[in-house]
Amino acid sequence: MSRLGRILILAEMHGRDLIRRHAALGLLIALPLSFYLASAGSGGAVSSGGVGMAFAVSGAALFSVLSSREVDQRLVLAGYRPVEMLFGRLVFLGPLGLVIGGGFSLLMALMSGPARPWVMALGVSAVALQSVAVGLAVGAVVPLELEGTLVLIGVIGVQLAAELHSVVSKALPFYGPRRLIGSSLNAHGPVGGPLLQTAAYGVGLLVVTRIFVSRRVDIARHDLLD
Amino acid sequence: MVTALQASGIAKRYGPTTILDRIDLSVRRGEVVALTGENGAGKSTLLRICAGIVRADAGTVRVGGAIGYCPQIPGVFELLTADDHLVMFGRGCGLSRDDALRRGRAILAGFDFPLDGSVVSRDLSGGTRQKLNLAIALLADPAVLLLDEPYQGFDRGAYVNFWDHCDAWRRQDKAVVVVTHMLAELGRADRVVELAAHPSRTSRGRR
Repeated sequence: MSRLGRILILAEMHGRDLIRRHAALGLLIALPLSFYLASAGSGGAVSSGGVGMAFAVSGAALFSVLSSREVDQRLVLAGYRPVEMLFGRLVFLGPLGLVIGGGFSLLMALMSGPARPWVMALGVSAVALQSVAVGLAVGAVVPLELEGTLVLIGVIGVQLAAELHSVVSKALPFYGPRRLIGSSLNAHGPVGGPLLQTAAYGVGLLVVTRIFVSRRVDIARHDLLD
Repeated sequence: MVTALQASGIAKRYGPTTILDRIDLSVRRGEVVALTGENGAGKSTLLRICAGIVRADAGTVRVGGAIGYCPQIPGVFELLTADDHLVMFGRGCGLSRDDALRRGRAILAGFDFPLDGSVVSRDLSGGTRQKLNLAIALLADPAVLLLDEPYQGFDRGAYVNFWDHCDAWRRQDKAVVVVTHMLAELGRADRVVELAAHPSRTSRGRR
């Protein structure tokens, strides 16, 4: 069985698992919508919606890691590689985040009328993809429900509370997406730089995830008897 | 008979507590070994080390083929069905979707598993989940079976059926290790290995 086949089957199973969580699926859409609608009309509505989406998608990613904690090592024992398990989650969660982000971008473009809707869509997509990387990394480094959730709330909450260009804000994962969303509200503003920042931070998070997942699910390969 | 599992000088500590101290275990093909001992003797730890999911501090494990490991607590996804699990674990060991389902369903049928493809494992009874747990361990047709109290939640019929399966696995030349507290059935094993708790874990040892 090819590596791609194994990754796709894991993605399929993560999808099946999430689709059966009806309340969670509803919240995935309702959470960013609530954040956005609660601040609709104010200057920060688009940013709030983005933050709501960060909470929702990173939460889904975190729990996809935590819900399979008891099974992961057994999957490795069955023949999967840790990196395939990571890609299996990415292949499912990445497109899911983009679909939610796409719908949400459309809504915000219609209601908030940003100067550059395509930059806003880019920013919201960056939030969605970065949220997957953040959720997976937190789940790998802090594989406990309460602690992991609190770390997630902390990171996103501080990112929201910090002034956009402060040192703290720049050190956090959603700095690039926030800049993109900010750029979409006026005719000028950087796009390439924030995209690169987002990509670099996201890749870094995935590397951290890879290291911690491998350490957690690694198994001893025994020598064969003669 | 040919040795299928050989664990030599296995040692394991968790912090200051010694769990296993230079333990040896050898199992031959076509042999069913019952691993017994009081709570905390390290039976599950030894089995996990033999499976490879826990690393020993010292000692070596050598095996004569693929390992099937059935943990004490079913390692399954709450919201996946039995079929989903068969496909997922089957792909891991190189089976196509159809082959995994065919082989897995046959194993489950042997355990009288209710083959309703729409029921997720969260909605299964404890004993039924355990049958799925056992079927996952058997899916790759392993040469060595490591079963950690695999009959938890089984009713009387399923429990007797489990030991009948042990007889069948013996005939298939598999090496089987069963962690068990059910002393009444020890006669159905070829050999009983009793693991004593390390003195550091007993009240006398702690004084």
